Amino acid sequence: MGGLQKKKYERGSATNYITRNKARKKLQLSLADFRRLCILKGIYPHEPKHKKKVNKGSTAPRTFYLLKDIRFLLHEPIVRKFREYKVFVRKLRKAYGKAEWTAVERLRDNKPGYKLDHIIKERYPTFIDALRDIDDALSMCFLFSTFARTGKCHVQTITLCRRLTVEWMNYVVTSRSLRKVFISIKGIYYQAEVLGQLITWLVPYQFAHDHPTDVDYRVMATFTEMYTTLFGFINFRLYQTLNLVYPPKKLSALSASLARVVATAEEEEENQLDQFPADGEDLENMEAREKEQKEQEAQNRLFEGLKFFLNREVPRESLAFILRCFGAEVSWDKSLCIGGTYNVTDETITHQIVDRPDIDKQYINRYYIQPQWVFDSVNAKMRLPVEDYFLGVTLPPHLSPFVEEKDGDYVPPEKLKLMALQRGEKHVQEEEEDDDDDDDDEEYNDEVDDEDLTEEKNLKKMEDQRSQGKTLAVKVTPGKVKPWETGSVGNKVRLEKEEKAEEKRLAIMMMKKKEKYLYDKIMFGKKRTTREANKLAAKRKAHEDTSKAEKKQKKAKKQ
Amino acid sequence: MAAVKRLKRVAALQPGFISFKSSAESDDLNSGRRKRVNKNKKKNWNKHSDIQDVEEFLDDVRLQERATGGLISEKPDDSLFFVDIGEQKKSVLPEVQERKKGKKSKSRPLRIDLILQHDSLVPPPKDVLAYQQPNAKKLRRIAENAEKLAAMGVLPRRQKRLLNRRPATKTSKAKTAANNFPDRPYYDLWGGEAKETADPYYLEQTGKRRVKRPEKLNAKPSILPAVEVIAPGGSYNPDFFSHQALLLEAHEVEVTRERAELRIERQLAVKREDTATEETVFQELVEGLVEEEEEEEDDVVSIRGGLQQEKKTEKERKRERADKIKSQQKQAARVFTDKKQQLFQLRSIQATLKRREQRTRERVAQRKANQEAEKSMPRRLGRLKFQAQDLEIQLSDEIPGSLRTLKPEGSVLKDRFKSMQKRNMIEPRERAKFKRRHKVKYVEKRAFREIT
Repeated sequence: MGGLQKKKYERGSATNYITRNKARKKLQLSLADFRRLCILKGIYPHEPKHKKKVNKGSTAPRTFYLLKDIRFLLHEPIVRKFREYKVFVRKLRKAYGKAEWTAVERLRDNKPGYKLDHIIKERYPTFIDALRDIDDALSMCFLFSTFARTGKCHVQTITLCRRLTVEWMNYVVTSRSLRKVFISIKGIYYQAEVLGQLITWLVPYQFAHDHPTDVDYRVMATFTEMYTTLFGFINFRLYQTLNLVYPPKKLSALSASLARVVATAEEEEENQLDQFPADGEDLENMEAREKEQKEQEAQNRLFEGLKFFLNREVPRESLAFILRCFGAEVSWDKSLCIGGTYNVTDETITHQIVDRPDIDKQYINRYYIQPQWVFDSVNAKMRLPVEDYFLGVTLPPHLSPFVEEKDGDYVPPEKLKLMALQRGEKHVQEEEEDDDDDDDDEEYNDEVDDEDLTEEKNLKKMEDQRSQGKTLAVKVTPGKVKPWETGSVGNKVRLEKEEKAEEKRLAIMMMKKKEKYLYDKIMFGKKRTTREANKLAAKRKAHEDTSKAEKKQKKAKKQ
Repeated sequence: MAAVKRLKRVAALQPGFISFKSSAESDDLNSGRRKRVNKNKKKNWNKHSDIQDVEEFLDDVRLQERATGGLISEKPDDSLFFVDIGEQKKSVLPEVQERKKGKKSKSRPLRIDLILQHDSLVPPPKDVLAYQQPNAKKLRRIAENAEKLAAMGVLPRRQKRLLNRRPATKTSKAKTAANNFPDRPYYDLWGGEAKETADPYYLEQTGKRRVKRPEKLNAKPSILPAVEVIAPGGSYNPDFFSHQALLLEAHEVEVTRERAELRIERQLAVKREDTATEETVFQELVEGLVEEEEEEEDDVVSIRGGLQQEKKTEKERKRERADKIKSQQKQAARVFTDKKQQLFQLRSIQATLKRREQRTRERVAQRKANQEAEKSMPRRLGRLKFQAQDLEIQLSDEIPGSLRTLKPEGSVLKDRFKSMQKRNMIEPRERAKFKRRHKVKYVEKRAFREIT
């Protein structure tokens, strides 16, 4: 039986993968060039399911690429450009060595370069595909624009990144797309909604820079190269959708473009058409969408009509960007940076953002607030009461808008207050301890206690309800009117909630035994979380009580 | 030979020349023997003419001209003679102090310069050729005409073209075409232009058609989002409990790390039982010295039948055969009864089957859950494993009160780098170590070697 036997590793997964070194040799590129090419084209290594088969019996850890991907790489025209560049470097080095300066100049003038446009078009055939991938590009460009302009990475790249980021911010300001802001210890997270896509990006602080040594700068530079190209094209298209000229001029201060921004915003508002329901849509959905849209538009005009002045010590760019996004007028001291339109002494300023414990000269008809007010207002989608953010006041905690609490999870009381505010209730006197009145303290105490108590009561009742629903499988319990919230509540809200609870109970009754068993398991888990949430709330209350007691003691000692 | 003779004769004929031979004789001989020379022939002009006096005179004239710039006889009396009045009193003037510089004063010219100077008063002749210009008249005429025209404003064609030419702006083509040029122009990439202008088959055959990108490459390598927002405890002014939760997470990480370290230490630790006690030490020293009674072991293992009996008898063989048949029959009967009984065991069989199926289903679900979990884990690509970043947290006493006093934690560059590794876009790598090709040799310098 001659050579017709099947040999091992000649077909199947062993032939679908190729190691990195073999791929490199097939393409005749150096390792750095190969990595750069893979990054530019978006070809990533794969981990095969059965490593032993692919590795021909050994389990040594190796990097594998799909053979089809590498074959696709062979047709790439920029591979030729890499080789030309290698030749160029060799010639340049020779000319330098022989001290032929005219040759050096001539070679430098004819340096080979490549364009990435066709790669971007190939990777993102439509504009929406590109928009989905812009998160990464945004974060990289913002990161590079904060680098110092020393020779470590090309200064041109940094300048280009800066230009692109400013253009993007201008677009967001013009289209009023910003939705969420979160100030973290790492940097500032923004979220915007552009053409239906939710885009999150991270902006580092300007003043933080220790360059870590274990980061491969060449890799990051290659990524940035690709991302700047992608970003530029996306910017162009976005500007086209707003009928703005690209590239825009004089954007360095985000102030000179204000006039144009305001003008275009007004134009857009005038073009609101009546919306007719599409075929087959319920009226309810239409109403819901309309309501959402109205809310959105109300949110977009959050700071409209207000005039802000930023003091020296606040992060100017970030605050200017956010405030402009919501329609406010911003200015700062002229000596800081170009673009400050009005001065401190302007009488029409409504709010001044200060971060110091106190300030010398105080004008009467303006509020002096800390910067967290802006961020919290944006996240709460309404103008929060300014009193909590005065100078010298301990700020409420800055909550993350990216967290979505599910039923029964622990919700910090600040968030509850916020939600209550949003719903339109007014809680009486939310001031923190005034050193003047003790009565106020006690009132506040009682209210907080009340709130927490009612919260716990509600949670317990929910638990009982569900447990009741489980045991009384057959009976239909009559509806009970339960006191849900303190203060005046719209009946409508309560009725809605009751209806929902009824429906839930019916559904539970109609389940089969098996499904019920699973449902019980789930409920048990959920109850556990609610119990823990209650415990945490109790802890929090205890903590606050003790702190208040301490403060009272201190006051007593003083007096 | 003839020339030599001629020269000698010429020399002898010069007046005042004293020859070896006696004068009378030479005179007589010469005067008598002198050959008659035809002085009319050109050939004889040089040989037999005596121009010594003329030459002397001319030399004298030339010397006078060189030394004094002209014939002395033609010079005025004043330049040649002066009236000697006598010594004049030296005027009492402040003498200039002699230079203190010594012999090598700078005012003195160099000797070589003195040597190379022209020391004759005869001026060098004018080089006429230097002033000669062919077509001088014509050229002059042309230049005058051009001046006249230029004065009127008419310029020759060449000058007009030079003036019209723009100054050469040196725009480096390479720089503007580079990828990271700051003012790089962008256009509408998704503009929707029809690129396929020619026949697709033609394009493919001539290698001009772009190869289509395989569909699999458009899939993202990981399901994780590009930017992961930090937990709410990472806010610059966090809520108490979320901050505690984050601290707890970090605490857990540290605890696991410590436990791993402790585990390694425990594995390497020496067991207390292995330490040498006095007894064991004594035994080791004493081994082999004392003869102990060796206990004999009864290791007679009786191998039944095999070695002793070699051949089976007929009886045995028959018995074996019968046994085999019987056992086979028994087995068949048992199988038959089992099958019959299974009919009554249906319920329990069903129960076992159900249990088995449930187990397989559970396992399938577990495997699927594992696979899903693996999708969000970073894959192992390459030699190094993925090292997750440390959680960025600030301790309770580091939390700032305000944005101004905030000290940023962690580096976004590192965060992006790690995020890309986590999403399987790049493989984890370490910095390449510096490996020496040849071992380093240390040699003492010769001077030191002599000292030590």
